[in-house]
Amino acid sequence: MNTLIHRARSTGPLISRIVAALFGGYALAALGSVAVLALPTSKPQAVLIGMLASFAIYAGAVIWVFAVRSALKAWAGLIIVGAPLSLAAWSVA
Amino acid sequence: MSHLLAFMLCLAGFAALAFAMRRHQRDVLGGPLPPPKTYALRVAGGAALLSALGILVTQQGWSLGLVSFSGHASITAGIVYCALAGYMRIRAGALGVYPPERKT
Amino acid sequence: MTAADDDLPAPRGIRQSMASLHTWAGLLLGWILYAMFLTGTVSYFKDELSQWMRPELRRLAQIPDQAVVAQRIADELGKVAAGTSRWSMRLPDARNNSVAAFWLTPTRDAGQRAFGDAYFDPATGRKVASRDTLGGDFFYRFHFQFHYMPVVWGRWLAGAAAMFMLVAIVSGVITHKKIFVDFFTFRWRKGQRSWLDAHNALSVFGLPFHFMITYTGLVTLMALYMPWGERVAFKTPAERQQLAAELSGFIQPGRPSGQKVPLASVADMVRQAQERWGQDNVGRVNAVHPGDAAARVAVTRGEVGRVSLSPQYMEFDGTTGKLLTVRESVGAAAETRGVLYALHLGRFSDLETRWLYFLVSFMGTAMVGTGLVMWTVKRRQKLPDPDHPHFGFRLVERLNIASIAGLSVAMTAFLWANRLLPHALENRADWEIHAFFIVWLLTLLHALLRPAKSAWIEQLWAASALLFLLPVLNTLTTQRPFWHSLSEADWVFVGMDIMCWALALLHAVLAIRTARQRAGGRSRRDIDRRAPNIIASGEVG
Repeated sequence: MNTLIHRARSTGPLISRIVAALFGGYALAALGSVAVLALPTSKPQAVLIGMLASFAIYAGAVIWVFAVRSALKAWAGLIIVGAPLSLAAWSVA
Repeated sequence: MSHLLAFMLCLAGFAALAFAMRRHQRDVLGGPLPPPKTYALRVAGGAALLSALGILVTQQGWSLGLVSFSGHASITAGIVYCALAGYMRIRAGALGVYPPERKT
Repeated sequence: MTAADDDLPAPRGIRQSMASLHTWAGLLLGWILYAMFLTGTVSYFKDELSQWMRPELRRLAQIPDQAVVAQRIADELGKVAAGTSRWSMRLPDARNNSVAAFWLTPTRDAGQRAFGDAYFDPATGRKVASRDTLGGDFFYRFHFQFHYMPVVWGRWLAGAAAMFMLVAIVSGVITHKKIFVDFFTFRWRKGQRSWLDAHNALSVFGLPFHFMITYTGLVTLMALYMPWGERVAFKTPAERQQLAAELSGFIQPGRPSGQKVPLASVADMVRQAQERWGQDNVGRVNAVHPGDAAARVAVTRGEVGRVSLSPQYMEFDGTTGKLLTVRESVGAAAETRGVLYALHLGRFSDLETRWLYFLVSFMGTAMVGTGLVMWTVKRRQKLPDPDHPHFGFRLVERLNIASIAGLSVAMTAFLWANRLLPHALENRADWEIHAFFIVWLLTLLHALLRPAKSAWIEQLWAASALLFLLPVLNTLTTQRPFWHSLSEADWVFVGMDIMCWALALLHAVLAIRTARQRAGGRSRRDIDRRAPNIIASGEVG
């Protein structure tokens, strides 16, 4: 039992980070690609800017998730960046 | 033609930059070069690379020129690298720094 | 570079975290990435490969007048694809000796779309009388959508691999702190250190290319991977067409009138395009509702000499031949996307630039390969019992063999199948592809059954032999042996033969070097005994 708890303790944060990177990162990129629609350009251009930039956002998010000191911080960072993006995305949806 | 010229300039440029590094001065020349010479090599190397870029850009325009330049730079850096590695290998074999490979 | 640890204890430096990220992001989809890189690399010569794989089709001594050819094929398409709502043809150019065309086949079910396609002989206008093969397009398609699975799945898998690659590149750069100090450094006979030096050199020298090719690869399919902005922004098909018009020269068909009017002279339309963009610089001719009063024809600009795939075309009324619009620019974001797309495909390049693309891309392949092998080299020294490694290690080791050496064997086998399969065989083109996968599977079985070192050596020798003998096979089975190609100045066939021999030599060198690795004669365990010493030979890149 003890070893099981110990295992969960040590691998839990790692799995949390992996989830944050794979799915949190994609969600952030997707949010970003929608949020750019709030930019004052024509719709087709804004859509393309969003698509083009999304992979940089995704990669940056993954790097962030594994660079910070704790899994909690990783999630917090994603949420802090995601919040204003969601607002912008909400305004155009 | 601009391809060939750019290629040669990049090759010379990277060779100069390599010899401006202390490790390669020590390995190939047997000791460090005096700082002014090192500095001159570095400037010459940078200038050669820049002029290769200049030639390609004036001949082919920015878009094609930049693509060609990055290609030439990668290939020539690789050639200089292989040349240095090959030289070290031959020399080390000749001096017996480490035993040559057993022939099978 | 700091040594990568396998697990992630909480408080660590950023460099260590990035090293772990680099190791695992690189390994997990590394085999797929290697296959994507290698098949993508040869795809820079896919048109030449296609020519080689259709040896019945004569070489074009000079590019025929595109206007004449366009008319000829348009007439033929009027018969072959009668009643279609759209057809499209790629005109012959310096690299293509046939006209590839596709058309929408009319179906009763409005929701269903089916395409027909064929290659036409520019000289006669007839479908080419050549063996049934996908040609170089197989490697090209495989490198972004694989095979034996729905196209969309394959593309998502390719996208995931590219994303892992992007992360591996960024984390690799952060990890490698002495990127400039170690520039040009190679240390012989240092086992893991030598592998690392080689891997670093391949990565750093080609860094602009590797980064560009990975990011632009994602861009080529970005509408699939990131459709959310598009979904939110556009509610109607008309709006969506606004976006499509920014991306491609395939004009949208309106409603057909139902009134039959023959298509105006396509040759005249292409002539106008030639005057605008140059004699041999017309790309495609796309028609919607040909033969109907509502017909439209778009003639697009060729891809040579402009680093952009943004649509540039002249649109004509299909019944009167009157020029309606000339489209030569798109919005800034669309142009950025067009440039990135073109950078990935490299179709704009002249011969020299294409070779640069090929070679640097080859360095990228070797970068992935050395990275994969390094994973085992690094771990071998830490194994508790090197003679009986744990399952994970053995798995990686064997997969490395099949995906690196085995892929060379399988790709060459594909070319052998092209020459050996009987012309009358049903679904012949599919069987060429089956041959590729069957051989690849066999190399995996071989890698699982044999000791690792022997498996490396035998497969490398097999690839070398197959490559070396391919020109011989070509001599025996076609009318175009090496000396004949040489005297005819048929550089595609000459180049193919020489490339085969060069690659055969490369594989032989790798095999010899692998064989020479001491088998346990050295006490220092950090010398890799089994994997091929790819870079130590200095032959790659």
